[in-house]
Amino acid sequence: MKDIEEFLTGRVWLRNFTPFPKEQIDQAILNGKISISRGITDELQCARCLEKSPQKIISFFCSACVGICYYCRHCIRMGRVSSCTELITWSSPSTITPQSHSFHWNGNLTPLQERASQEVQKSLFQQNDHLVYAVCGAGKTELLFPPIFAALQKGQRVCVAAPRTDVVLELSPRLRAVFPDTIIHSLYGNSPEESGFASLVIATTHQLYRFQNAFDVMIVDEADAFPYSYDLALKNAVIKARKKDAPIVYVSATPSDQLQKQVPEISQIFNRFHGHPLPVPEFRSLWGYDKAFAKGKIPKKLIAWVDEKIEKEEPFLVFFPTIEMIEQAIPLLQERHPEIAAVHSKDPDRKEKVMKLRQRQIPGVLTSTILERGITIPNVQVAVVGADQPVFNAAALIQIAGRAGRSADYPDGEVVFFHNGIVRQMDKAKQLIISYNGGSRR
Amino acid sequence: MNCYLCERDMPLQANWRSLFLNDLEEVICSRCRSSFERLEKGCRICGGLGTDICSDCSKWETTAYAGVIDSGKSLFRYNPAMKEYLHQYKFLKDIVLAEVFAPVLREELRSQKAVIVPIPMNENKLKERTFPQVDRLLDAASLPYVYYLGKNEVRLGGKSKADRIASEDVFWWNGKPVPEKVLLFDDLYTTGSTMRMAAKALKAEGVKEITILALIRA
Repeated sequence: MKDIEEFLTGRVWLRNFTPFPKEQIDQAILNGKISISRGITDELQCARCLEKSPQKIISFFCSACVGICYYCRHCIRMGRVSSCTELITWSSPSTITPQSHSFHWNGNLTPLQERASQEVQKSLFQQNDHLVYAVCGAGKTELLFPPIFAALQKGQRVCVAAPRTDVVLELSPRLRAVFPDTIIHSLYGNSPEESGFASLVIATTHQLYRFQNAFDVMIVDEADAFPYSYDLALKNAVIKARKKDAPIVYVSATPSDQLQKQVPEISQIFNRFHGHPLPVPEFRSLWGYDKAFAKGKIPKKLIAWVDEKIEKEEPFLVFFPTIEMIEQAIPLLQERHPEIAAVHSKDPDRKEKVMKLRQRQIPGVLTSTILERGITIPNVQVAVVGADQPVFNAAALIQIAGRAGRSADYPDGEVVFFHNGIVRQMDKAKQLIISYNGGSRR
Repeated sequence: MNCYLCERDMPLQANWRSLFLNDLEEVICSRCRSSFERLEKGCRICGGLGTDICSDCSKWETTAYAGVIDSGKSLFRYNPAMKEYLHQYKFLKDIVLAEVFAPVLREELRSQKAVIVPIPMNENKLKERTFPQVDRLLDAASLPYVYYLGKNEVRLGGKSKADRIASEDVFWWNGKPVPEKVLLFDDLYTTGSTMRMAAKALKAEGVKEITILALIRA
């Protein structure tokens, strides 16, 4: 029973898909240890992901219950929730004994990080929401270590949520190294199953659908990132996953105006941890790039840029606005170097390709916005093709520029926005970066 | 609306044809559409690779199932995109995906003279899956169909091909008088045993001509 309690505490799970024998689950339900709820409520809302739009809640004639049922398309990849499926959660008082935690970190915080770290800790103590507004490469993750440790020591359950699997994969080894005695679970699509009761959960925001009333502290990393900022369901999932009134710490390099207004406590860091300024993007015209790719040609200025990086053996990232354009460009650029790779959101080998770039096994990667944040590659050079396209808003452009010059050994790095005419979002991104370099905007 | 498969926003594709001819609506984007591969002329029985008749079908023609299928074809290859589609439709049970191939199926079968007969599901299997996936493909395409067969519970997985052929009486006739011409329809054609057994059961009841259509040829 102990392992069922550890698994189901704070979770909502499909009754028919737990990793435990059916008889044990049935017994725990009979004993009142586990409570049951219907997958789709009478108001036609998904009880797991809270989706309620008619485009996603679909009616059908169900052969299992021989009647009209509804199912949720929104979270279907986690196993389909329908009217006649049951969700279960642990509902009796906890018998889980508190774990002991240790903190293994010998790095130092800069004075700015130190101040922000203490401000976060104070907010958590006072149960206030908090925003850490810090530029790419400011060392946001490190400054969270002390507040996380303080919460764990109080016996609290902490969640670090990030919008993308890539970010979860980047954060997990770091947090596991810093808190070696803590049971930590990393959750993302198809993540391996881990046992025990996790005091610290690192999860994609999607995985939060499977939690309810679970966390004493919620940390939402990259709080502005797609899909979090656009997806109301994910926002609601964060609220659902935390315990009532538990504080939320938002962390972002590019918070929306709305987030800045909504959160009462804000810490700002506009300096990188190594003290060097952020690379300022350079605008370069690339007239008719879309027509050129469609015709099977690479614009000359882009060839020159890529050739130069290959020549100097500097790793590079080239961002494209659409998958179609990546597909048009990849065979053309592979003529410059056969090992150049392409990644996009559906690419199963994304992790490996980024790893190869980091280890200098391949010269460069063409990517969609999927790699705009959360990745660190020493000495990486960055280009955006079609920086004038709407998919690259100012926040995305700032994040992309923030990939360059992150390590202390290579604090510089080129950032070029190739465009077909400068647009407002490009200007906004550049102005903000320049203002960060000038210090605080306050 | 958004593409049912990749969730990307799709521009509305209204044109005169769709307004007046009541065509079925496309629910996936052109990019996803192009990831599926149509099968062109192949085996005259299953539509698989081969000229005239494929090696699988010629083997069948040496068994007790010889001649039970008169002609047939399959529409799509079982490529990675199709695998992914079938996974989402059948195993994740995303029922709306029945609409993805509705325009193609309607085009293929709208002027069909034979009576369309879907390969039925076993009752227990149906309860487990919650929907009859073959019927729903036809429903989405607004095509009429009739049942003449029921299916006993068999676990096809794990059995060798010889065992499958040996498992007679997988299908039983439901007692309804059969028409002369039948088009048997299934979602996926793999070894051909399902189609052969169903066709044999129908011919035993007096069907004269049987054509088969599979959405996908594995």
